[in-house]
Amino acid sequence: MAGLVPAIPIMKGSALHAIGITGTRPVMTRQDEGEIDGTHTQDAGGAIKTGSFVNTISSRTTAPGMPSLRPSLSLDRLGSVIAVLIGVALFASPFVIYRANRIAAGEGRMLVDALPPSGAIGVMIVTLGVALCAALLRAPLLRLAAASIGLCVIFPAVGWSAGFVTPAGNTFARVSPSLGFWLLTLSFALLAADALTRLRLGPWARLAAIAVAAGAIALLLSSGAWDNLSLLKEYANRQDTFWREARQHLWLAFGSMVAACLVGLPLGILAHRIRRLRTAILQVLNIVQTIPSIALFGILIAPLGFLATHVPLAAALGIRGIGAAPAFIALFLYSLLPVVANTVTGLNQVPATVTDAARGMGLSARQRLWQVELPLAIPVILAGIRIVLVQNLGLATVAALIGGGGFGTFVFQGIGQTAIDLVLLGAIPTVVLSFAAAIILDAIIDLTRRGSYDRD
Amino acid sequence: MIEIEHLTKRYGATTIVDDVSFRVDEGTIAVVVGTSGAGKSTLLRMINRLIEPSAGRVLIDGQDTMSIPEDELRHRIGYVIQGYGLFPHRNVAENIATVPRLLGWDKGRIAARVDELLDLFQLDPAEFARKFPHELSGGQQQRVGVARALAAKPALLLMDEPFGALDPVIRSKAQDDLLAIQRRFGTTIVLVTHDMNEAFQLGDKIAVMDRARLLQYATPAELLTRPAEAFVEQLVGTAERPFRLLSLVCVQEALEPGGAEGEPILVTDSLRDALSRLIWMGRDVLPVADASGALVGRVSVKGIMEHGRSFA
Repeated sequence: MAGLVPAIPIMKGSALHAIGITGTRPVMTRQDEGEIDGTHTQDAGGAIKTGSFVNTISSRTTAPGMPSLRPSLSLDRLGSVIAVLIGVALFASPFVIYRANRIAAGEGRMLVDALPPSGAIGVMIVTLGVALCAALLRAPLLRLAAASIGLCVIFPAVGWSAGFVTPAGNTFARVSPSLGFWLLTLSFALLAADALTRLRLGPWARLAAIAVAAGAIALLLSSGAWDNLSLLKEYANRQDTFWREARQHLWLAFGSMVAACLVGLPLGILAHRIRRLRTAILQVLNIVQTIPSIALFGILIAPLGFLATHVPLAAALGIRGIGAAPAFIALFLYSLLPVVANTVTGLNQVPATVTDAARGMGLSARQRLWQVELPLAIPVILAGIRIVLVQNLGLATVAALIGGGGFGTFVFQGIGQTAIDLVLLGAIPTVVLSFAAAIILDAIIDLTRRGSYDRD
Repeated sequence: MIEIEHLTKRYGATTIVDDVSFRVDEGTIAVVVGTSGAGKSTLLRMINRLIEPSAGRVLIDGQDTMSIPEDELRHRIGYVIQGYGLFPHRNVAENIATVPRLLGWDKGRIAARVDELLDLFQLDPAEFARKFPHELSGGQQQRVGVARALAAKPALLLMDEPFGALDPVIRSKAQDDLLAIQRRFGTTIVLVTHDMNEAFQLGDKIAVMDRARLLQYATPAELLTRPAEAFVEQLVGTAERPFRLLSLVCVQEALEPGGAEGEPILVTDSLRDALSRLIWMGRDVLPVADASGALVGRVSVKGIMEHGRSFA
């Protein structure tokens, strides 16, 4: 899909933003690239539909039909890497970081020092068990179960550790997850993602899986198990602003996406119909896409400021040189290219025989568009909207630089105060949102691809 | 009845269809045949106004097609193309129901019509109605394509290379099926092909086109015995001529009194089939039986040869 949409720079602005985007990539793109190709060669058979990545992994690791020289104990490659990661996390990295106050330099605590002995031993046994499962077990369901158990143990454990490490009565001390915890999370997430890919879940099952994950996170946060962590202390200090910025972030990302769809879909249809217009529109949008986000935010300040001072209506609508207006417009502009380009591509790949037959049977131009062309183009159009949404959720963080609000507010405040946990308070929700948006939209894309391949 | 009068299509200086006129009688099949680029498809697409003619007109039962709104016109004309153009996002039943739905038929009537057509094309409704086009074989897709074109009972069916994508075995079966259905409903068909055998098998009349012009419009027998131009003669194939002629005549026409040894030939078989049997059996004469099996006479190689000769 990325190939169809020319030159969309994924990483814009801050490094945090890059985390937001790339964090979602490894799991999602492999699968959807294969499947989007499937729409182009919809009748080509099963091999393309499932995605070549999945095939290579499973054939490499399970090697069906190959006589194994080590019948009982053969190591899974990805699993072995995960097991090594877990080992490094447990024995060579601090589990949490302890700081005397929120901006002081931190000191790492290994797992054995981060929890009471029985707890530390328990966590160690469970994580090593998961490592063994990853290296030795083949059945995806078992691997998924192992990964889930691992996550269900270390997440509460890090909260428990925060309470244990913080001296009683000390309200200044801060405890944050450290490299060991993050490595463990990464290992288990990799294991789970790999297992999910091998399970080849249908769209509904994937939606159910993400609902379960969201439920688990909500349970963890509402139970108070993490309340002693620095991250949640930062949150507690900013409870009101957090939700306000969250709303602002979602409004910026989703609002600009909706606006881009309202403008981009008709524009794409027009560009599809009129060939000369197509090149012009796509080239202009391509150029917009190459402007760095901070520059675009800056460029918009001048004309919007002018507008606000000279047009009373604009000012009344809340349009100012800085703030949400330029951020919204910039995100909107960035969103146009994927929407327009994918609309054009989606309409182009509707087979000529299909439109010819539709015309020959007396479907009017409008009926052809609504009953034939758009339904057949919708998976590709949605893939464009998916790009937009994931991109906007990340890019919206930069809006804080020009007073546009959103989770970026915490990121830039955190950077200013060298308070890493405040940075994370802005960054983690962004990553989680992008990730969830990608999974949900991929599932929806699969659901809309009616008739082009077998659904489960 | 379809009357095509001086139909012409020009793109700039190029003429794709040049002053073509012919008439297709009610309930007959006219096959337009010619080499690729001869303007056959353009001619066909001007009948349902997918392409607007530069000059000339088409009358359907005396009514000028230009006087009917184009979508409405197309609702009344079935259209089948090579590749069929089935809607991939709609199942077989929904595909067939396309035109009836546009015409606003009620659900019960549409469902009944879909089942009727599926039965007619030997596709079990219980098995096929919910299938998607990509789950069908080429032959099944072709049948659904024709069923969809016939759904609203059009008096006229336009077919552009409808069998072009089928393998030879399935193709001849599909041609026979089309003939049977055409005879049953009395549908008027205009069919475009570049396959001469197909033209002779299906056509009540054949229109031969070359480089935008209509060279000859005649019955198959006339085309063989009195080709209007050297190109027509070449196209029908000089070596194939006698055999094509024989395949148009049935044994009845060459029936002689008397009896003969051997397994009888059916009186409704073509002379071509009879000759091939005679050659294969190494005989000069074979008995002929009617449908009930009663012997009605005999047929001889000499008698058959009389029918495969040029009249010129």
